[in-house]
Amino acid sequence: MFNRIGLYTMLRREVQRTFRVVIQTLVAPVISAALYIFIFGSVIGTRIDDFAGVPYISFVFPGVLMLSIINASFSSASSALYFMRFTRGIEEILISPFSYLEMLLGFVGSAVSRALIVAFLILGVGVLFGAVSLVNPVMFVIYVAAVAAIFAMLGIIVALWAEGFEQLQVLNTFVITPLTYLGGIFYSITFLPPLAATLTRANPFFYFADAIRSSMIGYSEANSAIGAMVIFGLVASLALLVTYLFRIGWKIRS
Amino acid sequence: MTNTALALEIKNLTKKYGDKVAVDNISLSIPKGSFFGLLGPNGAGKSTTIHCITGIAQPTSGQILVDGTDVVTEYKKARTKVGLSPQEFNVDIFATPEQLMDYMGGYYGIPKETRWQRIDDLIKRFDLEAHRHVKFQKLSGGLKRRAMLGRALIHTPELLILDEPTAGVDVEQRHDLWAYLKEMNERGKTIILTSHYLEEIQYLCNDIAIINHGKIVAEGTKEEFMKEGKSVEQTYLEIIKAQN
Repeated sequence: MFNRIGLYTMLRREVQRTFRVVIQTLVAPVISAALYIFIFGSVIGTRIDDFAGVPYISFVFPGVLMLSIINASFSSASSALYFMRFTRGIEEILISPFSYLEMLLGFVGSAVSRALIVAFLILGVGVLFGAVSLVNPVMFVIYVAAVAAIFAMLGIIVALWAEGFEQLQVLNTFVITPLTYLGGIFYSITFLPPLAATLTRANPFFYFADAIRSSMIGYSEANSAIGAMVIFGLVASLALLVTYLFRIGWKIRS
Repeated sequence: MTNTALALEIKNLTKKYGDKVAVDNISLSIPKGSFFGLLGPNGAGKSTTIHCITGIAQPTSGQILVDGTDVVTEYKKARTKVGLSPQEFNVDIFATPEQLMDYMGGYYGIPKETRWQRIDDLIKRFDLEAHRHVKFQKLSGGLKRRAMLGRALIHTPELLILDEPTAGVDVEQRHDLWAYLKEMNERGKTIILTSHYLEEIQYLCNDIAIINHGKIVAEGTKEEFMKEGKSVEQTYLEIIKAQN
């Protein structure tokens, strides 16, 4: 039988943990996003012509939102699971009646919940600055949840792999941050020379930003079919990998 | 074929960590309603055996049945039947006793109303009213143990496993805890107890096994361990010294 109450408890616990350290989990990302919006909207944006039929800030806002979603989701999953390994609190989950798929849904759902709270708050800030438009709200929610799920699962893998707090930051520092900034979140690939544009198209983060942007402002620079394949292909493959790691008990079950 | 009169049946359990054999082909049968003492020196294999029963460790080979349910092939069902109070505090130290029981009860799928009724009962039973909202890290050793017991009992398991449940607990609280454990056992709960306080084992348990170097080296009733006017501790020391 599906452990519905157990899953809800995992989500509830992570949301409570989020509010326990509210400055780190919610206030900090909202302030960062507000600064990005202020600088790109009110400072730089006023000197740049509309792009793709929308003000520059509306073009950039989906990228700012994605940056925050990625950070919230990745840090939620990696810190929660690593802390549980560190304190052996993971044993509470291991002895409870969760299937491996339920464990995956619980950890990913918890991280996605935090990412959605952060996204909602940043959308609120964006509305205040007049930076938000939503041409396809359904696809927006689907893409935000999918991108958050991808980084939740990467966070889980890193939390399982890491042997120290410093290692938790390795993927974020050397892979996620560079690929995010080079994924076209602040600029259009039409601004790039051909080789750089081609390289950007090989960066999965470009498709994450483009999918969220297309659902918000209706403008896309990527092949949407390729984008959907990249995003949902990653969701499916990472879900299979994490479920497998839970099943073999990698680093959590002796 | 499973024996429905057994709360726990371990058949040829082996657990290896690399080349190191922590548990070496042990078999145990614990009847329902038993108060079972599992003794052994540090590193003998007690906790590893418990971890294999509860799902914290994966057996290398052998089979474990809890009330006839295989802990590997039917792990979800088996886990609902077992409660564990572990030797080490495997908790979120920022959670309160009330939260620990609430989360654990939720993990076991207990609906909110029933869960909170049980939390209130357990908080009262373990005299935690004044500490129910205090972070775990701020509790004394004895209070921590009581919170762990409450967490282990929240889903009313058929088999309760207590790994050193009175370590760090003062004498008065220990006696209070003993009375509670005896009462639970008399009401039919099967309990497995490991402890370095052998007078605790002698007072509470009716069946005893000694594990050493990963093997069961002695097993019997308490009376068999207390033949010729010996205490359980004397018999235990004789057996362990003969082994070493």
